[in-house]
Amino acid sequence: MSEKISRRDFLKLASVGAATTAVLTGCGPASRYVTREPYTKMPEYTYNGLSTYYATTCRECAAACGLIVRTMQGRAIKVEGNKGNPVNLGKTCARGQATLHGLYNPDRVENPVQQGRAKNFATEAMTWDAAVQVVADAFKNNDPSEIGFLLGMAPDHLFDLVSDLAKSVGAPAPVRFGVLSMFESRATLSKAAENLLGQSGMPFFDVGGSDIVLSFGANFLETWLSPVAYTRGFAKLRRGDPKHRGYFIQFESRMSLTASRADEWIPILPGTEGLVALAIGRLVAEAKGGAVPRAFASVDPAAVATQAGVSLEKLEHAATLILDAQHPLAIPGGAALGQSNGLFTAEAVLAFNALLDNFNQTGGVYLSPLAPNQDEYHRPASAQEMTDFIEKMKSGAVKVLFVHGVNPVFELPKSLGFAEALASVPQVISFATFPDETALASDYIFPDHHGLESWGYQRVVTGTTQSTLSGAQPVVSPYFNTRATADVLIAAAQSAGGKFAEALPFADEVDFIQSKLAGLVGQEGSFLAPEINTFAAYFQQHGGWWKKDAETQVITASNALSKSLKVAPAEFAGEGEFYFLPFVSPTLAEAGANKPWLQELADPTTTVMWNTWVEINPETAHELHLENDDVVKIISEAGEVEAPVYVYPAIRPDTIAMPFGQGHTAYGRYAQGRGANPADVLGQHFNEAGDLAFAGMRVKVEKTGVKKILSRLESRIGVYGEGMGEEH
Amino acid sequence: MTVDLNKLHAVGAIAEEAEGKWGMVIDQDLCTGCQACVAACAMENNIAFVGEEDAGYGRSMHWIRTERFWEGEYPEVRMTDYQPMLCQQCGKAPCEPVCPAFATVHSQAEKINLQVYNRCVGTRYCANNCPYQVRSFNWRDYQDSRIRPEITILANQFNPDVTVRRRGVMEKCTFCIQRIHKAQDKAKSEGREVEDGEFTTACAQACPASAITFGRIDHPESLVSQLARMPHTQHHLEELGTLPSVTYLKGA
Amino acid sequence: MAENKKHSEHSHKSHEDHLRETHLMLDPMPRGKMNEMVMESMHTTSWKFWAVFALLSVIVAWGLFYSWGRLILEGVGIAGVNRPSYWGIFLVNTVFWIGISHAGTFISAILRVFKAEFRRPFTRAAELMTTFGLVQAGFSIFMHMGRVWLSYWLFPIPNQRQLWPNFHSPLSWDLLAITTYLLSSTMYLFLPLIPDLAMARDRSTGWRKTFYKILALGFRGTEGEWTHLRNALNIFAFAIIPVMFSVHTIVSWDFAMATRPGWSSTIFGPYFVIGALHSGMGAVVMVLAVVRGTMKNMNYFIRPEHFEAIGKLMLIISMGWAYFFFNDYIVQWYGGDKWTKTLLHWHEAGPMGWMWFAMLIFNVAIPWAILWNKKWRSTPWLIFIVGLLINVGMWFERYIIVPISLSINRMPFTWRLYEPGIEIPLGIGTLAFFVLLYMAASKLIPLVPVWEVQEGHMDHSLKKFGRETVVTVSDLE
Repeated sequence: MSEKISRRDFLKLASVGAATTAVLTGCGPASRYVTREPYTKMPEYTYNGLSTYYATTCRECAAACGLIVRTMQGRAIKVEGNKGNPVNLGKTCARGQATLHGLYNPDRVENPVQQGRAKNFATEAMTWDAAVQVVADAFKNNDPSEIGFLLGMAPDHLFDLVSDLAKSVGAPAPVRFGVLSMFESRATLSKAAENLLGQSGMPFFDVGGSDIVLSFGANFLETWLSPVAYTRGFAKLRRGDPKHRGYFIQFESRMSLTASRADEWIPILPGTEGLVALAIGRLVAEAKGGAVPRAFASVDPAAVATQAGVSLEKLEHAATLILDAQHPLAIPGGAALGQSNGLFTAEAVLAFNALLDNFNQTGGVYLSPLAPNQDEYHRPASAQEMTDFIEKMKSGAVKVLFVHGVNPVFELPKSLGFAEALASVPQVISFATFPDETALASDYIFPDHHGLESWGYQRVVTGTTQSTLSGAQPVVSPYFNTRATADVLIAAAQSAGGKFAEALPFADEVDFIQSKLAGLVGQEGSFLAPEINTFAAYFQQHGGWWKKDAETQVITASNALSKSLKVAPAEFAGEGEFYFLPFVSPTLAEAGANKPWLQELADPTTTVMWNTWVEINPETAHELHLENDDVVKIISEAGEVEAPVYVYPAIRPDTIAMPFGQGHTAYGRYAQGRGANPADVLGQHFNEAGDLAFAGMRVKVEKTGVKKILSRLESRIGVYGEGMGEEH
Repeated sequence: MTVDLNKLHAVGAIAEEAEGKWGMVIDQDLCTGCQACVAACAMENNIAFVGEEDAGYGRSMHWIRTERFWEGEYPEVRMTDYQPMLCQQCGKAPCEPVCPAFATVHSQAEKINLQVYNRCVGTRYCANNCPYQVRSFNWRDYQDSRIRPEITILANQFNPDVTVRRRGVMEKCTFCIQRIHKAQDKAKSEGREVEDGEFTTACAQACPASAITFGRIDHPESLVSQLARMPHTQHHLEELGTLPSVTYLKGA
Repeated sequence: MAENKKHSEHSHKSHEDHLRETHLMLDPMPRGKMNEMVMESMHTTSWKFWAVFALLSVIVAWGLFYSWGRLILEGVGIAGVNRPSYWGIFLVNTVFWIGISHAGTFISAILRVFKAEFRRPFTRAAELMTTFGLVQAGFSIFMHMGRVWLSYWLFPIPNQRQLWPNFHSPLSWDLLAITTYLLSSTMYLFLPLIPDLAMARDRSTGWRKTFYKILALGFRGTEGEWTHLRNALNIFAFAIIPVMFSVHTIVSWDFAMATRPGWSSTIFGPYFVIGALHSGMGAVVMVLAVVRGTMKNMNYFIRPEHFEAIGKLMLIISMGWAYFFFNDYIVQWYGGDKWTKTLLHWHEAGPMGWMWFAMLIFNVAIPWAILWNKKWRSTPWLIFIVGLLINVGMWFERYIIVPISLSINRMPFTWRLYEPGIEIPLGIGTLAFFVLLYMAASKLIPLVPVWEVQEGHMDHSLKKFGRETVVTVSDLE
């Protein structure tokens, strides 16, 4: 098993895809010693003009979509969806497509480097032996309790490895964070499920099986939880039943991409989403007859309508539609949860679903199944927990910090002070693939492979009712002198000896992954393998392992309706005439800014490319004497940020919105110095579940007098009639 | 007396009796405007990105773009359905006759419009005459490593089946003809016909909402041909007699 | 000279003197003297001439050659073209210069055929404009191309791969038409030049003698040679008229054959022809005014009567242009096509609406306001300004037809304004090159067809019938 197998042998084992019909089983373990071969030494099966396809997992977000990557002569050419993977069923999003621009990005960290903190990138290249020694020394020379691990949302195998290591040596469990989870308010969602249903887990909303969807701020067609899966669901909602087209209403203060696809977009006052859900619930309950459940009894629909700034007729219309529907569904999410009363909103919407009696039903709410090798759902850290971690860093309790797969200096609101806290940590070791802001503020960067060069697995948290573990394997040999972080940690632990060596008794990353897969051998699923080597080969070939049938956690809560909800009004921090609504850019998301083709994609709603904008209602803009492309300063209690105006016809006059994703001060040539980061103006306000109340800010808008022409794909003449005189 | 409507071009491209014709159906009710098709197309076809300034000046080179308009004013404002716009592969294409160099020609085999990059001299007449405005021009050497050094690394991703275009050349959607040919070659070597759904274009393959369907439009039993016969279809600018091969499904 | 003949002692001139003073044809001079005057005008160059010549050379080097080199090396991206305005100022200039070139043929061929006597002293000046204008048009169209180094593919050159140009394309027609026109107009310029070259040969020494000797093709002035020349001119004058009409009609087809709103118009052919004449006549008066004002002895040959006559023509052409413009506009507007109506609205009310109004003012309002008055249209500087404004107006007209109309199409999502880039230095470069060529030519070939003037002098005479003095004209041909 420890016998070295060359890259070409491994490729033979692992090749999979439409073109490959040979089933390769039981041929021993796959190789971990991947070497890059020149064209002249191509493996014999690599013919000019013929492609080889590999199954792996997308690492652009944590949704764990399965990919089939087409390679040719050792280069990754094209990303395609893995039709087998239950999350995406062969589909991909734009970010998944552009992951190749990450792999072949001109600004990757090419070698392990030591650098003076916050100085220019790549001050001094190191060898990997020296790098491993640095990590080993960090293990040895610090008390385990003073070692900190900060990990991103992907990959899961690294999280497992670090968790095991931390547990064995007595170090604090790794802190896991991702800015998407912050904007998704995952903590709020799972906390609400726990409060209301008494069960923890991530709810899954079966949009595809439903025939009317009421979404309270959930931008499930953009970046929310598992966008490809939810988009598939949306398609099924519309066309699943050829006789009946599903209806979709979105309650949101700004028309997002998701809202733009709704049949009705109802711009309600930010923070009133929960009340509106209860009000519609009450109307539904009254129409159904019988006693109005406790949760809804105290709500006066007419008053709520006034408060939310929406006509009562609209709520009644929604209620009528629900009464006519077979499988009504309500989804809480997005900015609705990123309010001071976000937990109440989530609970209210879940209670509404309880009223609709759609738990464990087609077109209803499920609790997502745990992934195959998972014992319990690990929620990523909420912003509150990150704040606690920052405090810990500041207090000097963290002597060495390992950072992988996350860029908190850019992602967390500046007001939380992560950058300052990082500066107070004596030693920071980053495993970043790209020179992002956090990596540049570290002492060392020991670059991990790109996701397409990596081994691993990712658990599907939500997006399918099948329990799924999505597998990753290198589709190409590493392009730069990078090394898998798991390998670095294993080598360093061996070198450090003692508890560390005992904690990670593995030859390498692949060995570790196989140890984690061992429990699945012999289990019935997408494939059945009698022993680990066969299992591992199939695991690579299929791009993961999943249960064949839906297997959700059954929601047993019978008393969800009898609970009384604490109606909490939303509180807005700071002064100013506008509600501030940051949203994640649908095309860039948290890490897309360094991929040139993602920058070149037009934002779906505004068609802006390569920049950040501020959306302002036309009437408001007129009042403030603002025009398109006027750079405005947005001032909150926590800071200020500047960006050009996009006069957006579909946003409340009292709200301004700004996409998150740009405004990098590092992160390569395509991202650096481009646009602005709305996280700079977010304050330290959390909801009851500990999530950041990112939409709970009030801001002032000031004109700077500068103009910056936004690059738009759309024509301002043709779409907005600019320059067409009065008649148009 | 019976009148052959086909000869009068009075009916859409679907009715055009054309052996081997490929076509596409786009369901606008499903399109979420997510740009996955655009990214997939760019990756498959080695399309250059042009940067902020050129992109804002109408020089972006997307072979497929999602258009959207607004109706009404706040609060009763509505966004129209996203409208993915790509080369309609017209049966009677206005771009074809105007090229003085025969660089844009009609393929007899696939019934699509081809752009012969190495024959193009860059008069841009075809793009002017395209009613759909879906042709994109290489305004600069966007993919020359002497001008953009980073291309040497990014070029690892280039699809070897698709030519990289240089400055002064017009380009446009090809219905992923490299995929059509690959599938046809494979089917031929196996002694059979290409099956419906055996392969698809990059945009259709990526589309998370499955809004795009691609296939043989002359086969009545293919999915694309069945969808194209649905009642609520539309061909863009049909009145110009272009006989587009892309059918749009509108509304509910 | 005319001034010398003034009877200064009389308070008012006699009728006969007045006729002589105003009409070149009635003001004959000894042949030798006239030849001397023309030769003198060629040989006399002031420092101002060389200063302007040097300045223009610099402009040409920068505007034409350096900028064009950049355009070729860097790509069309440094020009202002975009989606949807794939065509820009290069095409505007092409149409403009072809338009300028029309006046030469119009004056020397049509007026020759109709025996309009006032044409005699300036046919050459107009024909030179034709040839040099076409050179600029050719430059402009090649600047426009994305891969100009492959432009020979547009010509039907036999090749082993049997690849031919697409003769369905109006651009192919265009190229053939322009080439034909360039060749025929050059020949048409050369033929009547032969006797004058022979005259110059006989009065020159040194390299000029050799130069004229070669060009004069051994012309000695025998009766046979004159007969051949007259026959050839007669044939050419008739033959080149349809070529002239076809060239600009075919240029208009580049637009009219397209499917674009605003372009697809059946009246574009004559509309373009009359537009070409409009700008061409404007250019002719500008050239004549400059030539008269700057070159020695030219005020003898070019007199207010000539401006007066061209002024009348310009007025008629302006009316004709207005008629065609209105016809094109009203038919398109009544057609009611959504896109065309949007486009017409865009012309007037769009951000470039000022250009549309300026076009109408320069092409119609100002010519009509000034040219109706005989005295005004006889004033060289005034008619120079009118000619200049007409040319600006006609350039605007082409600008409106090309990039401004291209901004609007059937896909509103793509509408976008055009902002010129490197087109500006290149456009200035072609203009400078035109002037430069003209200046060089004015010093190398007789700018006045002396033999034609002399022929005119022989045809015309004043006869006295009692108290009346009457002009008599005989036709030698």
